[in-house]
Amino acid sequence: MAPIVQCMGLTKTYGRKIALNQICLNLERGRIIGLLGPNGSGKTTLIKIMNGLLNPTSGDILIEGVRPGVETKYMISYLPERTYLYPGMRVEEMVRYFQDFYPDFRMDRAYDMLARLQIDPRERLKNLSKGTKEKVQLILVMSRDADLYILDEPIAGVDPASRDYILHTIVQNYNRNATILLSTHLIADVENILDEVVFIKYGNIILQAGAEQIRRNEGKSIDRFFREVFAC
Amino acid sequence: MLGKLMKYEWQSTWRLLLPANLLIVVMTFFACITMSLARSDHYDITAHDGVFFSAVMILVTYVGSMFVVMIGTAIYLIYRFYVSTYGDQGYLLHTLPVDKHHIIIAKVAASTAWVLLSSFLIYLSIFLIFADGFLLEMIDSMELFGDEVGGSPSIFAGIMTLIAFVISILARVLKVTACLSLGQLSANHKLLMSFAYYFGIYFLQQMIGSFYYAFLGLINRKLDTFYYGRPWEVTLIVSLVYVVIFYAVTWYTMDKRLNLD
Repeated sequence: MAPIVQCMGLTKTYGRKIALNQICLNLERGRIIGLLGPNGSGKTTLIKIMNGLLNPTSGDILIEGVRPGVETKYMISYLPERTYLYPGMRVEEMVRYFQDFYPDFRMDRAYDMLARLQIDPRERLKNLSKGTKEKVQLILVMSRDADLYILDEPIAGVDPASRDYILHTIVQNYNRNATILLSTHLIADVENILDEVVFIKYGNIILQAGAEQIRRNEGKSIDRFFREVFAC
Repeated sequence: MLGKLMKYEWQSTWRLLLPANLLIVVMTFFACITMSLARSDHYDITAHDGVFFSAVMILVTYVGSMFVVMIGTAIYLIYRFYVSTYGDQGYLLHTLPVDKHHIIIAKVAASTAWVLLSSFLIYLSIFLIFADGFLLEMIDSMELFGDEVGGSPSIFAGIMTLIAFVISILARVLKVTACLSLGQLSANHKLLMSFAYYFGIYFLQQMIGSFYYAFLGLINRKLDTFYYGRPWEVTLIVSLVYVVIFYAVTWYTMDKRLNLD
């Protein structure tokens, strides 16, 4: 089966600065993949290109064999690292918004998760705390039956007590044939759910391997290995 | 999807802009009563200081509210377009499975409709306040539009003037969307760059207009004629050209050169 994401010589520059350097990367289906790297390594740039929010300077990227566009946006469920919801809307209006635009959106799943996290659907988003807004975003994103979930720092803004629930939510709610690409700094929190990791440094992919394979070969956790690879 | 985008554009703009337009209606009502009192032969508005002061205050508030609504509507629509398209909310908008043409059409249609509504209410308001004798003068002046078309020349010219006005508003809205789209291409100071593009394009438009009339003047002098076109003709043609150019710029930058921070 063809990979769900194929990057071929993908390069992105901002003036003289190279954000992504000739990246070649294939992501397989049905995997939870950690995209790991320090700040400024190019994780978010790569994710934005996958979502069609940035255009590459050169090279090509295919999602299910097609370039980012309307068709790929039906397949990808994307959680950005910032709050993108309309502050004037109520949570329930935002749920309706997602249902209006995404045919694969499951309203019952969204309301179930809202209830579990005790978030009032009648509340306006501007009245919610930053952490609660992020939870609402994650609920909306994970309530889709997408082929590819791209989650950029999904647990960075929430308290440690909620992280386990969020990770549980991610694992429980995604379509098993789908791929999850998860970018984070908080490796210790996520490493138990990862099938595969991709290390990115200065815009280059320096490692792509199975999580278990790294643990076995290196004899240490991914968090420990990451700290060694990216030691300053 | 266009219908859904339109629905949400209306939903997110009416909460602020509908009350703003209602303010025009309410202030017009009070200003009309004040002007009727001022014109009345049976009542001297200057006889009581309190009444006179209130009348002046109502008229000052009326004029102020017209400016606030007009300028406020423009600023709000520009801000909303920027934030929802190239700000944080752009992350949601540009990951919806919708065509970029539909995004532009929905946003531009809503903005144009609000600007037209505010403009219409403000013109109507001024007309109602100064209707005394002004109405006949207006109808007389309509005859100036008269030309040789059919049996109702002034109606034809009036309709064409109205169409030209609508298209010119559309061109102005698209000019703003084009400038904001061009501004987001720069790495830093995106809003500042958008203003720079706006004033640059404005300057260019003025230059083109001056050259156009200078060219026509030259031809008129050669042919010993005096033809500068009917006012609506020039506005309509120029606005249509700008609509096409600004739409193309907005679409190209949004579709091919999107650069969200």
